[in-house]
Amino acid sequence: MKGIKTRWSPEEADLWTKEDYLTFVISPLIYFLLALGGIWCLLLRWYGWVVLGVSGLLIWLMIKIIDPKLRALSHDYEKKQKQFLEELEKIERWEN
Amino acid sequence: MVNFAWLDWFWLVAFILLMVFCGVLFYQLGKRSLADFFLAGRGLPWWLPAASVYATHSATDTPMWVSGVIYKYGLRGIWYTFFSAWCAISAFASTRIFRRSLAYTQAEWQTLRFSGLGAELLRGWIAGWQVFMNMFVLGWVGMAMGKLGHYLFSWPEWVGLVFFSSLCAIYVLAAGYWGVVMADFQQGIIAFSVIVIVSIWGIVAAGGPQQIIAKINSLGESWRLNPLAFSGWTTGDFPLAWFLTMMVIAIIGGFGMGTSIDWYPEAQRIQSARTVRDASYSIWAGSALIVIRNSLWAVAVLAFFSLYPHLQETAQYEMAWYRLGFEFLPVGLVGFFFAAIVAIHISTISTHLNLGASYATRDLYQHYFRPQASDKELVWVGRGATLILLLGSFLYGLMMKEITQWLIFALWIMTAGIWLPSILQVVWWRFNAWGYLTSWMANLGLSWLVVWVLPEFHLLPVLPDYLQFWIMMILGGMIYLPVTFLTKPEDMDRLVKYYVMSRPLGWWKPVREEAIKRGLLPGEEIRPAGGEL
Repeated sequence: MKGIKTRWSPEEADLWTKEDYLTFVISPLIYFLLALGGIWCLLLRWYGWVVLGVSGLLIWLMIKIIDPKLRALSHDYEKKQKQFLEELEKIERWEN
Repeated sequence: MVNFAWLDWFWLVAFILLMVFCGVLFYQLGKRSLADFFLAGRGLPWWLPAASVYATHSATDTPMWVSGVIYKYGLRGIWYTFFSAWCAISAFASTRIFRRSLAYTQAEWQTLRFSGLGAELLRGWIAGWQVFMNMFVLGWVGMAMGKLGHYLFSWPEWVGLVFFSSLCAIYVLAAGYWGVVMADFQQGIIAFSVIVIVSIWGIVAAGGPQQIIAKINSLGESWRLNPLAFSGWTTGDFPLAWFLTMMVIAIIGGFGMGTSIDWYPEAQRIQSARTVRDASYSIWAGSALIVIRNSLWAVAVLAFFSLYPHLQETAQYEMAWYRLGFEFLPVGLVGFFFAAIVAIHISTISTHLNLGASYATRDLYQHYFRPQASDKELVWVGRGATLILLLGSFLYGLMMKEITQWLIFALWIMTAGIWLPSILQVVWWRFNAWGYLTSWMANLGLSWLVVWVLPEFHLLPVLPDYLQFWIMMILGGMIYLPVTFLTKPEDMDRLVKYYVMSRPLGWWKPVREEAIKRGLLPGEEIRPAGGEL
C-alpha cells in the first residue's frame, strides 16, 4: 500500500508514527459501524449490510496498516523481556 | 416461576460440571508461580484473553442494564453501552505501553512510572481501592444472580448469591488465572451462542423485524427505531451534548490507563498475553464482540417492547431479555438458557475473585509486608485472598440495597474527575505522582460539592451528567495542575528507565533526549518524518 510502511526495523517500530495515528482513527470508526450495522442488519435494513461490509473492509485495512509494525516491535521486545522482568522483581523486593 | 423438565436439569448440571472441570484441570499450571497464578505465565495467544475480556464483561446484570436503557430510550440507548469503545484506541496505545511495562497490576505500574513516596502512596491507594472495588462488584453481580434465582425458582436471594459464586471459587482457588481464562473461553462461547439464539428467537416471536417496526410505528414511537434520534443540542432526555461527551470519554479515554473502571481487569488480560501484538489484538477483539453483543440485545429488547409496550416500572422492563428467553424458548432449551446465564455469571465472578486477590497479594502483601516471599508462599496468599474476597462479597451482596446508591456515585466520580489525569500520567512526562494523587483527592471533594452539596443549598442547579463531567474536569485541573508544577518532576533516572522500557506516546521529549544522551536509545537518525510529539 502506497505511503504505508510495511517493513520495520525494531528501532523504527518503537516510535509512534502515522501508521499508529491512522489506526487511532480507523479503530473507533469500526466499533461505531459495527454497533450501527449490527442493529440495522437485525432489522433487515439493506444499508445495515453495507455498513457491516464497510466495517469488514476497515478491519482488513487496519490490520494491513498496523500488523507489520506490531510484529516488529513485539519480536524485538520479547528478546529484552527477560532482563526487564528481572529489574521488575528487584523493584518489587526493594532492591533497586 | 419457571418449571424445568429433566432435559433442562441435564443441561444445567452438565454445563456446571464442564465449567468447574475446565477450571480445575489447570491446577498444576496455576500453582507453578505467582506469574502463573495471576497471569497464566504471560504466555497466552490473543484469542484466549480476548474471550476472557468478552466473557468477563457479560455479567448477569448486563442484560438487565442494557434492557433498561433500550426499553427507556429506544435504539439510541445503545450509546449508553458504547463506553467499551475506549478499547478501540487503548488496544493500540495504552495497551501497548502497559504491556511493555510488565507490571502485574495498575497499582504496580504507578511505581514504575513514578518514584518516591508519592508513587508508593499511589500504589497503596489503588491497590486498596481495587481490593474493595472487586469485592463490591462480586457482591453486586452475585446479588443479581440471587434476584434471578428468586424470580425463576422462588429461591431466597442469598441462595443464588452464595451457591454460584462458591462453585466458581473452586476453580479460582485451585488454578488461579489459568482456571479463570480457560473457563472463560468455553463460557464465552456458550454465552455468545445463547445470546444469538435467544435474541433471534425473541425477534421471531415478536413477528420478525417488519412486524416489530410496524408495531412501533403504529404506537407513534418511531423515534425508538433511530439510534441517532437526539432530543436537541442540550435539551430533552437525550441531547447531542451528552452523546458527544460520551464519545469523548470513551474514545479519547483509550490513551489513558484507568479512564474506565474496566481498565483494571483488562490490564490483567494485557499482561497475560504472550506478546505486545497479542495483547493489542486481545483487547480489540474482545471489545468488538461486546459491541456486537450489545446490538443483538438492543434489537431483542426492541422486540420485547413491541410485545409489551406499556411497562412503567424499571424492575419490570429491565428483565426484558431474560423474559424473551424464559417465555418463548421451548422446554428443554430453557435449561440450556439458564446454564448459559450461569456461564455469564461465573465468568465475571471468577475474574473479580482473581483480580482482587492479585492486588492484595502482589501490591499489598508482597510489596509492603514480605518482599522476599517465595512464589509458593505467594500463591497460597493469593488463595487466601481469593477466599476473603469471596466471603466479603457475600456480606456486600446482602447489604447491597443500602449501599448501591453510594457506590454508583463512587463509580461516577472515578470517571469524571480523574479521567484527564489518567490520560496525562501516560502521555506527559512532567505530570507527577503528587499531581495524580491530588486529582483523586480533589475529585472526592468536588464531586460531593457539584453533585450533592451545592444543589442542595441552591447554590448550583442540578446539572445534567455531561455538564457535571466537564465542570469537575475543569475544577479538578485548577487544583492538580498547580500542584504538579509546584512539586518537583519525577526522578530522571526512573523516567528514563520507564521510557526505555515502555516507549510511551505523547510529550516525552526531555526524557527521550536524556535516554539518547545516556546511550540507551539510538540517536536522531531513525526519527521518522514528521517527528514525535
